[in-house]
Amino acid sequence: MRCMSILWAEAVKSHQHNFHNKLVYFSLLIWPALLFVTSYYSFKPFNLSATGPLSAYIETDQIILFLLTGYLAYIFFWSLVQSAWNMSYERQAGTLELIFLTPVSRITVMYARAAGNLFEAVWLFTLFTLLVLLTTGQADHIHWANVPIALLFLSISAIVWGGFLNIVFLFSRDAGILFTIFEEPMQFFSGVRIPVLAFPVWGKVIAFFFPLTYVLDIFRKLILDGAGLLQLIDQFLMLAGVLAILFTVSVLLLKKAEHHAKETGNMVLF
Amino acid sequence: MIEAKGLKKTYTISKKAGFLRKEKQKVKAVDGIDLTISEGEIVGLLGLNGAGKTTTIKMLCTLLNPTAGTISVDGLDAVCDAMAVKGLVNMIAGGERMLYWRLTGAENLRYFGKLYGLHGLELEEKISSLLSQVGLSEVSDTPVELYSKGMKQRLQIARGLINDPRYLFLDEPTLGLDVPVAKQLRETVKNLAKEQQKGILLTSHYLEEVEELCDRVYIIEKGKIVLHDTPQKITETVVNEFHVSVETRTLSALEQSKLAKGLPSCKIQFLPSSDGTILEIKAPFDPTSIIIAICVEQKISIQKLELKRPRLEDAILALAKEKSA
Ligand SMILES: Nc1ncnc2c1ncn2[C@@H]1O[C@H](COP(=O)(O)OP(=O)(O)OP(=O)(O)O)[C@@H](O)[C@H]1O
Ligand SMILES: [Mg+2]
Repeated sequence: MRCMSILWAEAVKSHQHNFHNKLVYFSLLIWPALLFVTSYYSFKPFNLSATGPLSAYIETDQIILFLLTGYLAYIFFWSLVQSAWNMSYERQAGTLELIFLTPVSRITVMYARAAGNLFEAVWLFTLFTLLVLLTTGQADHIHWANVPIALLFLSISAIVWGGFLNIVFLFSRDAGILFTIFEEPMQFFSGVRIPVLAFPVWGKVIAFFFPLTYVLDIFRKLILDGAGLLQLIDQFLMLAGVLAILFTVSVLLLKKAEHHAKETGNMVLF
Repeated sequence: MIEAKGLKKTYTISKKAGFLRKEKQKVKAVDGIDLTISEGEIVGLLGLNGAGKTTTIKMLCTLLNPTAGTISVDGLDAVCDAMAVKGLVNMIAGGERMLYWRLTGAENLRYFGKLYGLHGLELEEKISSLLSQVGLSEVSDTPVELYSKGMKQRLQIARGLINDPRYLFLDEPTLGLDVPVAKQLRETVKNLAKEQQKGILLTSHYLEEVEELCDRVYIIEKGKIVLHDTPQKITETVVNEFHVSVETRTLSALEQSKLAKGLPSCKIQFLPSSDGTILEIKAPFDPTSIIIAICVEQKISIQKLELKRPRLEDAILALAKEKSA
C-alpha cells in the first residue's frame, strides 16, 4: 500500500518534470523510431537470403519483427538510464537530500522512481510498434497470447535495472559515463540488432554482462516463437539469477551510498 | 529535548597537488560542540561564514554522521536510531532550492507528505491547512517556478512542517527576503515555538533577527562554541560601552569644554545640526546623570536625549576585534 502511494508520487513528479513539454515526444517516439528504421535499412543491402550469413540465426523474412522486438525491449531499458540521469537534477535542486531527510524506505523510492518513469516513457513507442506490425502485415507472426506475460517480464526486469541505475547515480554526479556505456554498446551487445549467437566469443562474453540480453532472449522466444513458459524454464532461471544478483548489489550499494553521503556530505555537491 | 555532546565533524577532502596527484586533507568543520534545544524554545547559532553552522545542523537532522560525539533527540540516538529521529525533526534552508519547481505548491507537499507515510484524506487536510497557515492557499495549484522568492520560502516552511516535527532546524531562513516578508516569516517562526511548542534551531546572518527571536544564542567560531547566553547577556558582557546622543541649542566653545571636562574618560563629539548642537558620547559607564547635571548647571536646555542600547551586532563586532587583537 505504502509502495503504491510512493510509486504514484514518483509517477506524478516525473510526469511534471520530465514529460511536460512537446519536445519530449522526440525522445519518446521519433528517436527510437529512427533507430529502428535506420537499422532496418542498413540490413537491406546485405545478403538476407536463406544462404546469407544471418539466416543461420534469424529467419530473415522476419527481420522487421526481430528489430521491432529488439528496440521495444531496448527502449524499456534505455528510458530508465535517462530517468536515472535526471537524478542529477535532484542533486542540484537539493531535493535528493530532502528525500534522505525523510524516514521513507530508500529502496522503495529507488524502484518506485524507476516504475513511475517507465510507463510514461514507453507507451508511445509501444503504440508505434503495434502500428508497424499492423501496417506491414506482420501481425500474424506474433503469438499474441504470450504478449501480456512477455511485457510483464520485460517491465519487471526493466524496473530492477532502473532501480540499480538510480542507486549508482546516488554515488556520483559524474555517473554520466553510464550514458556512454549504455547507449550504443547496450544496443549492440544485448542483441537488439544482431543476434547474440552471431557474435564471436568475446562479444558473447560482453553480452553476458547486460541484463537486457537475457530479457530480450526470453521476450523474443515468447512473442516470436510462441514458446511456452515451461520450455523457457532454463532461461527464466538464468534471468531470475541475474535479477537477484542485480537486486542484491543494489541493496548493498544503496546502504553504502547513504553511509558515504553521511560521511562526506556529497549529496549536495554538484 | 535535543542534547548534543562533544560534537565533531572532520571532512576529508582531496586537494590537487599537481596534475594527477591528489593530497588528502582533513578539515575540522565542527570541533567539539555541546548544545541543547528544548521544546518551545528558539535557539540561535551564530558565526561567520564557514564557522560550521550548516554542518552542525546537518548532523542534528541525521544527514551527516558526526566524527565524534553524541546527539540524543528525546532519548533517541541520531546515528543508531536515525530513521526514528527523522520522524521527529525537519530542516529548512534559505534560498530557492529544495523544491520541485515544475510541481505546484500542493503537489510538492503531497510528494513529501507521502514520503513521511501520510496519505488519503489526512494528507489532503494537512496540505490545505499548511498552505493556509503560510498564506499560499490561493496559489496552491500554481507551479512553484512562478512563485516569488518569499512565496517559495513560505512553501519551504510548509514543507518543513509536513511531518509535524517536534524540532525544526532553520538554516538562514530569511536569506534574500525583503524586510516585510522576512518580518512575516519571523512571526511564523515565533508562533511555531510559542504556540506549537516546537524546538527551533536557527542560523542567520541578520543579527536583529537572532536578537528578536532567540531565547538563547550560541556563537561558534572555527567549529567551537565561544559564547553561549541570552542575546541580552551577551550584549551586556561583551559591549561595555554606552552610547548617548544629546541634542541642545548651539553650544559655545566654553560650554563645550565644560562638558568635556565633566566627562573624563569619555569620547565626546560635537556635531553642528540645523538648530543647535548634537553631542555624541561614548562612555564605559552610563553617563546620562552626569550629562543632565552639567546641562542644568550651565543652563543648557536639552531638546532630546537618547541612550542607544548596545546591540548584538556590536557584541559580535567587539568579539571579532578582541580575537584579532
Ligand atoms: N561537504 C563538504 N566537504 C568538505 N568540506 C566541507 C563540506 N561542507 C562544508 N565544508 C567545510 O566545512 C567548514 C564549515 O562549513 P559550514 O557550511 O558548516 O559553515 P557555515 O557556518 O554554515 O557557513 P555559512 O555561513 O557560509 O553558511 C567550511 O570550512 C567548509 O569549507
Ligand atoms: Mg551555512
